[in-house]
Amino acid sequence: MEFLSQTYLLLHKDVRLELRRRESLLTMFFFGTLLLFVFHFSFDLVPEKIAEMAPGLLWLAFLFTGTLGLAQLFQAERENHCLDALLLAPLDRGALFLAKTCFNLLLMVLVELVIMPLFWVLFDWRAWNLLPQLFLVTLLGTVGFCVLGTIMSAITLRARARELLLPLVLFPLMVPVILATIRCMENIVRAGELGDAWPWLRLLLGFDVIFTTLGILIFDWVIES
Amino acid sequence: MTPAWGFVALAYGIVWGAIVIYLVALKRRYRSAEVELNRLRSSEVTENNDKK
Amino acid sequence: MGETGQLKKRKGIHGTLALIAIGVGLYYGLVVAPPDAYQGEVQRIMYLHIPTIVAAYVAFFLVFVGSCLYLWKKEKRDDILAHASAEIGVFLTALVIVEGSIWGKPTWGVWWTWDARLTTTAILLLIFIGYLLLRSLIEDEGRAASAAAVLGIIGALDIPLIHMSVYWWRTLHQPPSIFRPDKAPWENIAWPLLIPLIVNIVAFLILFFYLLSLRYRLGEMREAIKTRRLERGI
Repeated sequence: MEFLSQTYLLLHKDVRLELRRRESLLTMFFFGTLLLFVFHFSFDLVPEKIAEMAPGLLWLAFLFTGTLGLAQLFQAERENHCLDALLLAPLDRGALFLAKTCFNLLLMVLVELVIMPLFWVLFDWRAWNLLPQLFLVTLLGTVGFCVLGTIMSAITLRARARELLLPLVLFPLMVPVILATIRCMENIVRAGELGDAWPWLRLLLGFDVIFTTLGILIFDWVIES
Repeated sequence: MTPAWGFVALAYGIVWGAIVIYLVALKRRYRSAEVELNRLRSSEVTENNDKK
Repeated sequence: MGETGQLKKRKGIHGTLALIAIGVGLYYGLVVAPPDAYQGEVQRIMYLHIPTIVAAYVAFFLVFVGSCLYLWKKEKRDDILAHASAEIGVFLTALVIVEGSIWGKPTWGVWWTWDARLTTTAILLLIFIGYLLLRSLIEDEGRAASAAAVLGIIGALDIPLIHMSVYWWRTLHQPPSIFRPDKAPWENIAWPLLIPLIVNIVAFLILFFYLLSLRYRLGEMREAIKTRRLERGI
């Protein structure tokens, strides 16, 4: 219980900071929207093709937008030696991990809730009935992204060329999440339901559980003074 | 040489060439580290002798 | 005083042993082994490809073990092991991709294909290149070691998941011929081909451990140099 209340406290702090300055959230919104425009210029997205390209394009947008959010994740702590102060406090480091992950998840979910309908509108995709299911699958994939991303963001904290290094170490590890999420989304687009993509969903869930657990256990060694 | 042996030669050639190069480079780094370590060790001894 | 004479002699023996083993392996692979019924001589590339893969996986297993031990006990030697193994592992994995590509050209007609094994190997290469980059970009050695150890553990645990997901995705293509999930390896390959293969695998592993011992010793010496420099304020 102590663990969860610590998590909540840390999460609360980050949310309040974000509400006050809104830097991460707004940047992510605009960047996501910008990517949709870039897609429009880069691909010939006629109505017949939009359905099959939607899962991949949406995930490209989320991956890059999410990476922006991750780069900012420990920014507040880096300034003014807040991280040292945080580490001196009798906190379970696993709680710090969970709080940061949830915070990033919150940001990404908010962004996705805007970008996804925007995608439907901008590309005149009429399949609005698919949106809830696609969103749920995206949510599971986003959890995987945030879990691994938080760990990677923390270990690259003091590295040079951090903005380049972070995606470089993160993306290869994300392959199962990307594959699983997009296969599920493709099935939903094609057949209106998961169908034989269920194994992929189980893989995704397994991934989320394994790495969330690992993150909580290993975070002690990730952040050291 | 039939094309088949050509590919075999290419594969074996590249792989063993690369391994030899890596080994040579490794040995070179090894030797320079050894030299540096000996230099530090011997000047340490003379420093200790000077202190006495 | 440098290395003791005994250590040097052991290294010399190890190196010679590796050389002999490789020689034997080459003889078996290129002369003793018969050409394949379907692929012809090109199939001989397997005597390079599979041993390299085996050695690479041993290397990454050692990275995992070294990383776990380092986080647990914080002893420098485990970190040196992980680093040395990773470096050799990256080198070997790059070779695996080159070998697979060269083997693929005559058998499939293309230099690259997104089949399960090549794709997984490429991802593995990227993960461990990231590992080496991470180490080199963090200035504080202690932090670099811890960060790398975490990445090593996560990477190693992710690999089975990556393998599985890529394999499922590419089930249409030919499944791996030796390491199939349903049959034992020796049931998949004819006897005359198996012996040269095993000989070559053993030879490669001897070579791998020889390279590892050199690289490990290099790591130890660098650590010793750094310590001495620090003590003397250089």
